Amino acid sequence: MTYWSRRLLGALTVLFFVLTLNFALFRLMPGDPVASLIDPRFSPESKEALRKAYGLDRPQAEQFLLYLKRTVTFDFGLSFISGRPVWQELRNRLPHTVALTGSALALSGLIGTFLGVTAARRRGGLLERATLTAGALSFSFPSFFLQLLLLLLLAVFWPLFPLRGSVSVPAPQGAALIADYLHHLALPVISLVLLSFGSWALYVRNLMVKILGSEPLFLARAKGLPESILLWRHAFRTALPPLLTLVLLSLPGLLSGAVITETVFSLHGVGRFLLESIQGQDYPAAGGAFYLLALVTVASNLLADAAYGMADPRIRFERERRR
Amino acid sequence: MIAVEGLRLDYRTGIRRVRALDGVDLVLRRAATTAIVGESGSGKSSLVTALLRLLPPGASLSGKITVEGRNIMSLSEKELSASYRWTTVSLVLQGAMNAFTPVLTLGRQIAEVLEVHRRLSRTEAMGKAAALLEETGLPRSWTARYPHELSGGQKQRAAIAMALACDPLYLLADEPTTALDVITQAEIVTLLKGLTRWRGLGLVLVTHDLALASAVADRLVVLQAGRVVDEGPTERLLDAPGHGHTTSLLEALKTLEASDHD
Amino acid sequence: MNLLRRWSPWALLLLALAGLIGPRLTGDAEEIVAPPFARPLWLDRSAPPNRHLLLSTKDLEASLDWQWGPPAGFALTGTYRLPEGASARLSWTGPEGSLVLAELTGAGGRFALDGRDIAFRLRLGLSPFQSPLERLFPEPGPYRLRYEGTTPPEELAADLHLSGGRWGLLGTDQRGRDVFRLFLAGIFVSLLIGLAATLLAALLGTTAGLLGGYLGGAVDGALMRLADLLLALPLLPILMVLAGLWGRGLWQLILILGLFSWMGTARTVRALTLSLREAPFVENLRALGAPTWYILGRHLLPEALPVLLATVTLGVPGAILAEAGLAFLGLSDPRLLSWGRMLHEAHSFGAFTAGAWWILLPPGLGIVTVCLAFLDLGRFLEEKADPRLREETP
Ligand SMILES: Nc1ncnc2c1ncn2[C@@H]1O[C@H](COP(=O)(O)OP(=O)(O)OP(=O)(O)O)[C@@H](O)[C@H]1O
Ligand SMILES: [Mg+2]
Repeated sequence: MTYWSRRLLGALTVLFFVLTLNFALFRLMPGDPVASLIDPRFSPESKEALRKAYGLDRPQAEQFLLYLKRTVTFDFGLSFISGRPVWQELRNRLPHTVALTGSALALSGLIGTFLGVTAARRRGGLLERATLTAGALSFSFPSFFLQLLLLLLLAVFWPLFPLRGSVSVPAPQGAALIADYLHHLALPVISLVLLSFGSWALYVRNLMVKILGSEPLFLARAKGLPESILLWRHAFRTALPPLLTLVLLSLPGLLSGAVITETVFSLHGVGRFLLESIQGQDYPAAGGAFYLLALVTVASNLLADAAYGMADPRIRFERERRR
Repeated sequence: MIAVEGLRLDYRTGIRRVRALDGVDLVLRRAATTAIVGESGSGKSSLVTALLRLLPPGASLSGKITVEGRNIMSLSEKELSASYRWTTVSLVLQGAMNAFTPVLTLGRQIAEVLEVHRRLSRTEAMGKAAALLEETGLPRSWTARYPHELSGGQKQRAAIAMALACDPLYLLADEPTTALDVITQAEIVTLLKGLTRWRGLGLVLVTHDLALASAVADRLVVLQAGRVVDEGPTERLLDAPGHGHTTSLLEALKTLEASDHD
Repeated sequence: MNLLRRWSPWALLLLALAGLIGPRLTGDAEEIVAPPFARPLWLDRSAPPNRHLLLSTKDLEASLDWQWGPPAGFALTGTYRLPEGASARLSWTGPEGSLVLAELTGAGGRFALDGRDIAFRLRLGLSPFQSPLERLFPEPGPYRLRYEGTTPPEELAADLHLSGGRWGLLGTDQRGRDVFRLFLAGIFVSLLIGLAATLLAALLGTTAGLLGGYLGGAVDGALMRLADLLLALPLLPILMVLAGLWGRGLWQLILILGLFSWMGTARTVRALTLSLREAPFVENLRALGAPTWYILGRHLLPEALPVLLATVTLGVPGAILAEAGLAFLGLSDPRLLSWGRMLHEAHSFGAFTAGAWWILLPPGLGIVTVCLAFLDLGRFLEEKADPRLREETP
């Protein structure tokens, strides 16, 4: 088996597990299983009709297969709350969640990398100590606490940013809409960057300190190369593959963070949709949102893994040889 | 000529201080191959590092180093990089160490010194890198290879190609054959010796292997606990060691050979 | 001992003591003690404080010098008994004149007035929507509450409670509960959930790690795949779904958190077991025919214990943060007073528009402190278990 078919199989296993969990959680609960799938406010006749349509009158195993088939085609059923297909609701919200987490990841990665590299170059400096502190703090700072503080400071006491929402109500038109959207996105992204740049910087710093003290860098210095080439071409390129692993490892946490961030800032996104569905006992919607978050995580894991292989010739070599 | 006078080197780890070089006086000539021998921990690698003024943080170096009449101790870090390291004195490290940067191709790592020090374009530098690989007995196309794709001996050939790239006046080789098998060892030493002689550059071979040193070098320098305890033409030193330590090193060599013949 | 020279054990001890004893000393956290969003006493001296004026059978008059704007609440409660045929009233006299607060009629009874009552407002000649406090406190100056009657009362006990915009050490929340008491109550929940969930996870992880590492083969493969799988999923959404479906009580939360955070421990213990499995003493035991459980329990587990202790301690912040996150999202039992819950309520019920930062800071800083303390403690234990680490930390 090639490396990639094994990886793909692994990803599919994860998804299958999520689906099974989803199926079991929402259906095998105590009480009438139908109650968790069909809006309790419907009339008995329409309930019966829906029961047939969802195949709830069949045996569990057959239901499971039917459920798998539906989920793979993104058919999660109708939301109890809005009455519209869950997938439609999700598709509408997904770009917002991706915009939030994507820009936060990119920015904190860039800032953290820059700070980490600088701290590693100037050992014992003020910046290095600040980086170490920020890194330690970021492991024990609840995201919502920082975000609430930022809201209180920058949206209430000193109203630079809006207090809630993804856009103003009523929404402006044209280019102003984009500006308005970015204005609403700014504080959430800033908060996520503040929360994670420290651990990035810490990780990059530790990695770079190790690499800068290694044999290849000693030789590169003996070659009389300028500082920038030493630092970026030799040291940073060596650090890149493990950094990409960190991206891979930070993705699940980032999506978890999106749920909280979207709640604090009342943003339009998959995370808050999940929370509202759970609170409103809208089971089809909750199941769909949960599956989508898992799917995004698994897909980005695969992507990061591919990038890792591209960045490190040793890994690429390993993977090809194992065919 | 490299002239070293009263070279003193202290490492600092935590609160401990280690004196690695304790007043080394030494002359290395371009025309000769010099071997620096000594037991483990005697300061051989430290001497090589000090000659390039590449010291870990916390280390302090004092004394005089003069290379072709130039006072190396007074150069700034920038000047060292721009006009001394690799252009005047280059370096080959121990074969077992992964001294190449693992994520860059061999071609890239050889070409970059040409780009930086000789101001060649990327393509010119790559062409020269291929020629250098060929000169050391590797295929030209291996510029596209990554270090992990080479065996230890092949890596040392590439390292020699890289060390020769900017036509330096001296080549320092710190245990270039350690951890290689005997046949490859001989090949690498022959290659080093041949190329340096042909190009007229001074070879400084650092080794703890007195047999190898005496086979290759014109002059020997014996180091013990950070001091030069004996120095001179190889023949003279082997016949009439000037210091007890040299004698004991020779004794160790003889018993080793004797046990080999059993 | 080195441990005692660190700050973290002391901080945790202090917090634990405060969490155990504090609520007993300060009283019920659910009690409504002052108006909503009252500021901490030390914060704003221009806001009126909380005052009581008491009348009794002996003291028929009480006065105070009021130096502030109107208070936030005005409540008069009490009981009385009058001699046959007597009539009396309670009056309120200020710099601008006198008002009758209550007519005391009949032989006795109880009275209860509140500034929020419509009847009270109407009696003062106000509309039902007008606050009576401006009328009762028109300006700073001396005020007097007095019993006025034909004869002295046989019995009187009256308590006029003027609730100010200031309360206690940390003010009040949106319902008028004491933030300091809520904070103390939250210590218990955070520590309990953090520790219990981590211990459960450690138990599961150790079992999985020992079994996988020692038995190897299919068991090991299955357990490690399961761990990989759980690690590849976003944790919070799973916890949310489970909390939403299974219930939100204390023990459910502990169970849910424990079930989804054993993976790290399992990996550590497994690696250690693998390295010990080939150790000569284990091989000897096996050769002697010692049963698997005996080798695992009596020899491998004690070897793994120091590392395990460090892993558990380092895992506590994660559990605390996860609990706080769920509570912040409103997915915990509302009766469970936790720090996350406090932040949830601060966010959901207008602490922002009120600018009430004193509700926000204590629970947030509490979480940060506890997490930092456990991290510090965990690092200490880690160094104990593996002295090599000491040199690497900068
Ligand atoms: N970076 C360093 N920090 C502290 N002490 C060092 C460092 N490098 C070397 N030393 C010490 O300096 C002394 C000389 O070491 P050096 O590496 O120069 O010896 P060597 O002759 O090259 O030995 P070997 O044959 O083992 O390579 C030794 O005592 C060594 O422990
Ligand atoms: Mg050495």
